[in-house]
Amino acid sequence: MDFTFLGDMFASLLKGLPLTLNFWVLSLLGGGTLALILNLMRTTRIGNAVAGAYVFVFRGTPLLIQIFMIYYGLAGFGFVRQSFLWPFLREPYWCGLLALILNDAAYTSEILRGGLRAVPKGAVEAGRVSGMTRFAILRRITLPLAFRQALPAYSNEVISMLKATALVSTITLMDMTGIARAAISETWRAVEILLCAAAIYLAISLLVTRFSAWFERRLSPWHFGRTTP
Amino acid sequence: MEFGKLALLGFGPEGWGLVLVRAGLMTLAVSVAAFVFGLGLGILIAWARIGGNAVLRRLAEVYVVVLRGVPDILVIYLFYFGGRQVVTAIGTGLGFEGPFDISGFVAGMLAIGLISAAGQSEVLRGAYQAVPKGMVEAGRVVGMTRLTLFRRVIAPQAMTTALPGMGNQWQSVIKETALVSVTGLVETMRQVSVAAGTTQEHFLFYAAGAVIYLCITTVSDQIFRFAERRSLRGHPQGGM
Amino acid sequence: MTDAVETKAVGPALSITGLRKTFGANEVLRGIDLSARDGDVISMIGASGSGKSTLLRCIPMLEIPDSGTVTVGEDSLSPKGGRLTRAEEATARRMRGHLGFVFQNFNLWTHRTVLQNVIEAPLFVQNRSRAEAVDEATALLEKVGLAEKRDAWPAHLSGGQQQRVAIARALAQRPRAILFDEPTSALDPELVGEVLKVIRSLAEEGRTLLIVTHEMGFARDVSSRVVLLHQGQIEEDGTPEQVFANPRSDRARAFLSGHFDRTR
Repeated sequence: MDFTFLGDMFASLLKGLPLTLNFWVLSLLGGGTLALILNLMRTTRIGNAVAGAYVFVFRGTPLLIQIFMIYYGLAGFGFVRQSFLWPFLREPYWCGLLALILNDAAYTSEILRGGLRAVPKGAVEAGRVSGMTRFAILRRITLPLAFRQALPAYSNEVISMLKATALVSTITLMDMTGIARAAISETWRAVEILLCAAAIYLAISLLVTRFSAWFERRLSPWHFGRTTP
Repeated sequence: MEFGKLALLGFGPEGWGLVLVRAGLMTLAVSVAAFVFGLGLGILIAWARIGGNAVLRRLAEVYVVVLRGVPDILVIYLFYFGGRQVVTAIGTGLGFEGPFDISGFVAGMLAIGLISAAGQSEVLRGAYQAVPKGMVEAGRVVGMTRLTLFRRVIAPQAMTTALPGMGNQWQSVIKETALVSVTGLVETMRQVSVAAGTTQEHFLFYAAGAVIYLCITTVSDQIFRFAERRSLRGHPQGGM
Repeated sequence: MTDAVETKAVGPALSITGLRKTFGANEVLRGIDLSARDGDVISMIGASGSGKSTLLRCIPMLEIPDSGTVTVGEDSLSPKGGRLTRAEEATARRMRGHLGFVFQNFNLWTHRTVLQNVIEAPLFVQNRSRAEAVDEATALLEKVGLAEKRDAWPAHLSGGQQQRVAIARALAQRPRAILFDEPTSALDPELVGEVLKVIRSLAEEGRTLLIVTHEMGFARDVSSRVVLLHQGQIEEDGTPEQVFANPRSDRARAFLSGHFDRTR
């Protein structure tokens, strides 16, 4: 084992970490917001159909094709090139981010939907008979219960998105995977380089797993045998 | 986009239709190979986590954690580039002349199979643990051996619980095969990229690719649902 | 808390007139008239499917009647077409504020502790001060015999304990009347007694109670009035003596004899 090489490799891979984290956090924020909107849309008949079709398309196709479609595909349309969005859509950064957000929204909206469906009808009725407004019920009962229910699935989605950010390297972006890919074609020491990169991703996802387990215990202590808060 | 451009997707002399269908079949082939490989390995891992000794259990656990925490594309690169490194080392060691290469199909199948095995083992383990204790005891009191118990009671029960989860794993495998395109294997993703580059009709061909994936995922989703309904016959949850 | 029952000079505590409700082709309530004065303890009995639970759920508009009027104190609603307008929704909320409702399945909020369940409505609906709400809730939990469980999670309580918390939660709203929807039907037989004991003590305090129940003995002992529903209509309405000892209709007689044979 060539430890100087490994050390250098870690150092240069970590230079890509900010971009990876940037994509990760922003796509989760954007995707989460869009997922909430998609669920609100589901209260109307047309909105429900639109949200259903959206989820069908984005969950039924690979993220890679979504990224390419936005990065290479949209540029083929004259009206896109003429629009005010073109300064953004010509940049691989914004195309990658847009694809990640759209993709995350489809998965997250289904997780949220599952959580909302699992809220017991009785808990909502108990809120209604105590005179709460719709908004108060949503804020004090439905969303807290749905969120607790959805948390394990959502923490998987958070890790999935971390892994998904690696795909932006295919449209020239130098995130950790992009740097690893470039280093491979320079040095041809693929195994060492890839293991370094994998170790960094793994460390982050382990942190997420730990945090979400802690958070789950904090939010739903009664599931873990604690009788008092 | 003018209407005439759709001829590019047709089966005429100008059309890419036949090539795309072939690429779709390649996607299907890699997916099936990877899923079956993943299933075999997944069963072993699930078995290690349920019935293995402390060391096996720990190893299986680490395996699942690692493969769920590392981007799939890194695993594929590892198999493709790493596989080439290994093959080259062995080849030159045996005195053969280079250059050596590893088939994209094999690298892709192995990589995606290994990734999928982690997910499949989790589904199988969950299904095993969801078999009601009472049913196992009912088998035991009539004197079933462990094997009979597994074959007649546990496996059929667990299969029913596992089906929806396995359906999801299959869907993931299909989508992950798009990543194998980085190794140069001509499956759907690779083929539409080539066609898009050649014709400069990027949107058209990526959309066509998306439709191919949607067809595969939708049809297989229906098949899994059908199997699920069948397996639910006689269960309290209903079905046929 | 013992003097929480205020006597209202004017009008009945709640009244229902001409109430109708259908589910699909099934007419569940076929013109119900019923009113309760302050201090009434009314038991509603009848076979399953007779509409008694639906009737109870129509009072706070958990089910919205097709026609008819529900009045609680000064507020009155006559919804049309099975839905509430925005203004009606606000009236319904005011009405619910004057009612306590105890469900068959307790419906405690699992993500809040016992105490938090009880102070939720006082704090977030009635905007009372936290100190006052907590003091009152503590007294109420004492009253239902669960003072020591105030910081426990609902999931860790027995069914009987959960139902007693639900009763404390209903009382915390300082309701003019409390509605019970088969409060002991979901309980194991050995837990029924502790809940009935609490309800009995409320009756003895002179609170206004509407109880849908299958516990005939309890209904006979505790109620000031018994209402028997049959196929969406009121078949009998009178004192327990009248209804249980001298039912006027054959149907009532058949129902009651069948029930007493089975449960007693």
